[in-house]
Amino acid sequence: MSAFRYRVKVLYQYKDLIKELVSRDLKLKYRRSFLGYIWSVLNPLLIMMVLTVVFSTMFNKNIDNYPVYLLSGRVLYDFLKLSTNNAMKSVTGNAALLKKTNVPKYIFTLAKVTSCMVDMVLSMGALVIVMLVTGAKFYWTFLLFPVVVLQMYIFCCGLGFLLATLNVFFRDIVYIYNAITTAWLYLTPIIYPLERLPENMQFLIREFNPMYYYVQQFRDLVYTGCLPQARVFYGGWIIAFIMLVIGVTVFQRKKDKFILYI
Amino acid sequence: MSKYVVDADHVTIRFNLSNEKINNLKEYAIKLVKKELMFQEFLALDDVSLKVKKGEAWGLIGVNGSGKSTFLKAIAGILKPYKGTIKVRGNIAPMIELGAGFDGELTARENIYMNGTLLGHSKEFMDEHFDEIVEFANIKKFLDSPIKNYSSGMKARLGFAVATVDCPDVLIVDEALEVGDMNFRKKCRERMSELLEGGTTLLFVSHNIKTVREVCDHAIWLDKGKMKMSGEVAEVCDAYQEEQDRLDLERRQKKREKNFKKKGKVYDYLVVGSGLYGAVFAREMENAGKRCLVLEKRPHVGGNIYTEETDGIHVHKYGAHIFHTSDVAVWNYVKNYAPFNNFINSPIAVYKDELYNLPFNMNTFSKLWGVRTPAEAKAKIAEQIADLNITEPQNLEEQALSLVGTDVYEKLIKGYTEKQWGRDCKDLPAFIIKRLPLRFTYNNNYFNDKYQGIPVGGYTQIIENLLDGIDVKTNTDFFKYKKKYKNFKKVVFTGMIDEYFDYKLGHLEYRTVRFETERVEEESYQGNAVVNYTDREVPYTRIIEHKYFEPEKEAAQPKEYTIISKEYSTEWKPGMEPYYPVNDEKNSKLYEAYQELAGKEKNVIFGGRLGQYKYYDMDKVIAAALAEAKKELKK
Repeated sequence: MSAFRYRVKVLYQYKDLIKELVSRDLKLKYRRSFLGYIWSVLNPLLIMMVLTVVFSTMFNKNIDNYPVYLLSGRVLYDFLKLSTNNAMKSVTGNAALLKKTNVPKYIFTLAKVTSCMVDMVLSMGALVIVMLVTGAKFYWTFLLFPVVVLQMYIFCCGLGFLLATLNVFFRDIVYIYNAITTAWLYLTPIIYPLERLPENMQFLIREFNPMYYYVQQFRDLVYTGCLPQARVFYGGWIIAFIMLVIGVTVFQRKKDKFILYI
Repeated sequence: MSKYVVDADHVTIRFNLSNEKINNLKEYAIKLVKKELMFQEFLALDDVSLKVKKGEAWGLIGVNGSGKSTFLKAIAGILKPYKGTIKVRGNIAPMIELGAGFDGELTARENIYMNGTLLGHSKEFMDEHFDEIVEFANIKKFLDSPIKNYSSGMKARLGFAVATVDCPDVLIVDEALEVGDMNFRKKCRERMSELLEGGTTLLFVSHNIKTVREVCDHAIWLDKGKMKMSGEVAEVCDAYQEEQDRLDLERRQKKREKNFKKKGKVYDYLVVGSGLYGAVFAREMENAGKRCLVLEKRPHVGGNIYTEETDGIHVHKYGAHIFHTSDVAVWNYVKNYAPFNNFINSPIAVYKDELYNLPFNMNTFSKLWGVRTPAEAKAKIAEQIADLNITEPQNLEEQALSLVGTDVYEKLIKGYTEKQWGRDCKDLPAFIIKRLPLRFTYNNNYFNDKYQGIPVGGYTQIIENLLDGIDVKTNTDFFKYKKKYKNFKKVVFTGMIDEYFDYKLGHLEYRTVRFETERVEEESYQGNAVVNYTDREVPYTRIIEHKYFEPEKEAAQPKEYTIISKEYSTEWKPGMEPYYPVNDEKNSKLYEAYQELAGKEKNVIFGGRLGQYKYYDMDKVIAAALAEAKKELKK
């Protein structure tokens, strides 16, 4: 228990470092661009427009207000992709620093996921704009979206730790993971409705794709305006914590060897 | 609780070389299949222990790759030891490089917070100390520009300021202070000593041994991961430097040998003349890794300081040489090449049947006039000078008389000077004697220098030791050699400058002496090393009794015989052995003309008594050769 308390103490000691790292990421992302933070909103908006133009004719009959449907999924997927990709490179990318300072290494992974989360919350603005423009209804359940964000944050941290560790030992993981995220995009009902898939595919996605749990919950809250089903809700939390435990365990086991490989 | 702040106990750190190269799956799979995944271990640190008490400043020294940084990383907790333990009490500034973690894109202001939080400080703490940091780093003007635009010195300043803002219990400084300017380095030192006084423990890595000596009180020397020495800073640094110098010399010699094999016998310097100047110059060049060939016209090395052992006595073949200097560096230098005795030159002057002490001192005056006090002696001399009433001396005689009076001149100067110049004192110009030192104490030491002596075992060993390992050709005339060979890049010429230019502007004149050396079958001939004969009737100017240059040897083992040299002044004619340059107007002008010619010879250095047509004492020759060698090496 004392080890755990010690960890918490260390984490508390470095809370300001995480803050600094997150604000650095956000500052650097938009420094020297005219619109700055507005890009956090504008970027998903533009992508949404492109995708809407391309896909709306395909799925228009099945889905009302396709832009909101698409964007509500897309925002979460972008968070997953960005945060895990950044987290994957958080240890190797800070090699120079880690070789010279004795700072808990997970801080960097944590900071990357956190800054992506902040970015995602900002891009929620895009969703609100689209909903306003398309005249979609606002439900009170919208306000519950932080629950989903928190689940995903935990999930992405876990996955991030795992990927960061793997990347230290096998740099190939970057390319492999790239392929995986692309597949993941198409295996999650983001641009298409789940019902369009064959029965057995639907089953697999419903049961085993973690992203399904988060996208489904989010759509329930924002798009449909109802509380998520218990299975999806609890499933989302359980998956998040399982991922976190896996990621942290792997990371902790290997972290002392990082320095020899970065 | 242990009393040590840092307690590293038998620390071993292992790297796995073969694993380090595998960082992709394909390679891993291949190696796995081929069963090549074996360990190829490398011990970056091997069983190193270090115990540091509170407030101590330790310097870590060693060449690149000796494990210094690895050790620091282990102490900072970045690397975990493979074997052994490291305990650090208190908080450690866990940064082994100042300014590590500066982000080039961020401004200095942002970086200060970033770096501070990296060190584990809170935001509030950094707020409080922000101004202090900015002031110390002296970057107020550039606070909001990205740090990538900063110079390395500015970055180091900022890094140091942040790292030392809160007195850490252990501060690690790695090679950081070398980039800053003088002012900043001074500031850093002050801050470090402040911290040390406040109880901070310092671990300091630097290649600059001078800085380590200044900053630290202890040092540990690592070599290939092993601890070679640890303890007081002076001891460890001395040993380290000695070792470095030795390795350096070895490396240069190896390089030289390689060059030799590759290019054949090509010399960097062709040193003409193996006298003191040539030998010192060649030694210095060889030590710096250059290759020299020394040519000597005579059958032996040493120039005019050559001494030859005859029946157990070292005979000064080219006149008495007594080493004296006030230059401690030269004295230490020359003592490296021979042991010296404490000989003091106290010559005796013989005038008819009277004996006087030289130089002119109270003993001399007392003998001359029976005076006892300096005041009496001064009065006597003043009286004699006044009687003569010389206002404008027209020749040497009048000049000398006006300086020392009748008695000293008649008995001790006149005859000797006339024999030296072969002319009457009335016919010699006044300028030859500018002043005649009179000493009003009872002190027979001829020289006023701090250090004086004769090498025990003769002078030749100095030259031999200087030329140890250097190629020397005796019986070789440079002018003939030059026609045959071109295997040298530069010439150091210590022969006669006029001869080098084939006397095309005429001959420079010299004073020369002739020696008649003989063995005398009695224990002692004159009881002193040097006796001057000051009356004109005796044909020689002085007699040297060589055994008394090493009186300690004679006292230990008295000989039944002795060797003496009678010294005759002879008028110099071209072809004779040149001794003393004649610094009169005519010869000085001629030399200047030759000097101009010499200036045009780009690859020739003219040095020494004959090359520079200048009367040089031995210590001055050494100093000149050392200076010239230094200048050459700087190019």
